[in-house]
Amino acid sequence: MTREPVVVAEDLRRSYGDTVALDGVSLTVEAGEVFGLVGPNGAGKTTLVRALTGTTSVEGRVRVFGDPPAEGDRSRVGLLPQEFAPAGRLTVRELLGYYAGLYDEARAVDAVVDDVGLADTADTWYEELSGGQRRRACVGAALVNDPDLLFLDEPTTGIDPAGRRAVWGLVESLSADGTAVVLTSHSMTEIERLSDRVGLLRDGGLVAVGPPGGLVADHAGPARLVVEPADGTEPSATGGDGGQGDDGTTALADALREAGFTVTVGDGEVAVEAVAPTEIGAAVDGLDAAGVDYDALTWTEPGLEDAYLRLTGEAFEGLRQPGASVVDDPTDADPGGHGGTGGGNTGEGGGDETTEVEA
Amino acid sequence: MSRLRRVRAEATAATRSFLRRRTAVFFTFFFPVILVVIFGALVRTRPGGGGLFAAPAAYYVPGYLATVVLFTPLSRIGSEIARHRDDSRFEKLATTPLTRGEWLAAHTLVNLGVISVASLLILGLVVGLTGATLPVAPALALLVPFVALAVVLFCGFGAILGRVADSQDGVIAASNTIALPLLFLSDTFLTPSLLPEWFANAALVSPLTYFARGVRTVTFSPTGTDLPAPPLGTTGNLAVLAALAAVFFAVGAVAVPRTE
Repeated sequence: MTREPVVVAEDLRRSYGDTVALDGVSLTVEAGEVFGLVGPNGAGKTTLVRALTGTTSVEGRVRVFGDPPAEGDRSRVGLLPQEFAPAGRLTVRELLGYYAGLYDEARAVDAVVDDVGLADTADTWYEELSGGQRRRACVGAALVNDPDLLFLDEPTTGIDPAGRRAVWGLVESLSADGTAVVLTSHSMTEIERLSDRVGLLRDGGLVAVGPPGGLVADHAGPARLVVEPADGTEPSATGGDGGQGDDGTTALADALREAGFTVTVGDGEVAVEAVAPTEIGAAVDGLDAAGVDYDALTWTEPGLEDAYLRLTGEAFEGLRQPGASVVDDPTDADPGGHGGTGGGNTGEGGGDETTEVEA
Repeated sequence: MSRLRRVRAEATAATRSFLRRRTAVFFTFFFPVILVVIFGALVRTRPGGGGLFAAPAAYYVPGYLATVVLFTPLSRIGSEIARHRDDSRFEKLATTPLTRGEWLAAHTLVNLGVISVASLLILGLVVGLTGATLPVAPALALLVPFVALAVVLFCGFGAILGRVADSQDGVIAASNTIALPLLFLSDTFLTPSLLPEWFANAALVSPLTYFARGVRTVTFSPTGTDLPAPPLGTTGNLAVLAALAAVFFAVGAVAVPRTE
């Protein structure tokens, strides 16, 4: 017997005047699954969460545990709205106790306080907490009824790295216990780490859905090696010139071609696409053999953010093929979507794996 | 039990929040006090002297009580709804078992507590400062249902205001604009003889009229004055007030926002 998904949404549509917030969105979320929702500001993430929680009206069909969201068993759902601010002059313990009191059965308040790492400030008024502590208290308010379905709309905004990891641990733990989680975030690291599947919203439509690894493989483009010429050579005014410039890129490009690589020349940089980590040594050897100086050599493995940028059309102008334009359509994607020197994306905002070698 | 548990949780949180806003607490009680001091002690009544405040001091008890019964729920419930909406609290509450009616009931209870205390304070001041004499009779206990029903009524009204107004500023402006004329034109401070005849019918539209007239039936005896006995009597005014309270509460509960 097939188990019904926890959330079923079919062809959801919602407009605000001329602005289309949801444009035919369909998705399902299974028990124990973390479904990540990403997209640019205004893409429709919060409207979609509201549609799934029954707090806004939409065209289409939504079922949560088999019922319309506004009519189902509310004790099974937890929600952290995006811009949520509870009563300021309640302590953390009182606040969580208040939300616990709205349910027939709820978790022990002190256990939730511990879970969100606020035991030391349990008797502090909410308004006297730091921004990150406030957000953690709000996460606690979403967990207090031990929900089977949890909506977290940007849960870690403003939370410090340690607190963020604590929240991530909670989400992982809840998911392992069978709770379905719908998570929206602008942190690709967070989405990539926590999500079993990711839905990417653009202009109110889901443009891609799949496991993070699948989205990266299908849409993020190849690994790249970027080499910067040594100081002292001025970039050409016209940017890439196919290897004919005098900004130091010509010699770099020639040396790499000589070593067997296909190169792309951009503004003061040379890039090699689809380079495996094991091939970096050959590139370095080729440059050394040609006696070409360079300042930095950066290898970048694309991550979810690259897939995001390419699919949302938000890739910013950087190193690209001569005459190529910034990615505008995911079906017409330029493989050089992300750019900049020194390794592009790292850590929190990124998801790329970057190795930089100073010459 | 579930319903009681939810209402208690909401009411407890709302009470704590209110009591910890010292400015709000101070002015909630200071407003009626200053009104009694100005009108009752400084202006003073001049029984039989004509003009404003010419009736015996006890005649104005409904007016003083009306200040808290009217202003406090309108502004507090309206502001609370605006604040909840601005802070996405209703969005959160919509996914909990708490219903809109339970939310309004909880906040009505909090207002009832606040207004009961303020009403006792006003009665004490009116008696102490203006020399008003309240008839000590069992009927005086009917002040309790009159105040309670009026609080329910105006909490419902406040919920409607909070729904219609799009901000806390808007709620305050709207509640003042509505409450001020109601306060003075609902058979509270102005005797019927001071107003045009046609206005007697207009006053019937104001729910506060039934509160004022009903309270007056148990706090003031017109015997020995040329003031008429309040129409409808105690029971009639109580019945009309109860019916209006039920309607306003029901409409107010529906008006409490659930969705964005």
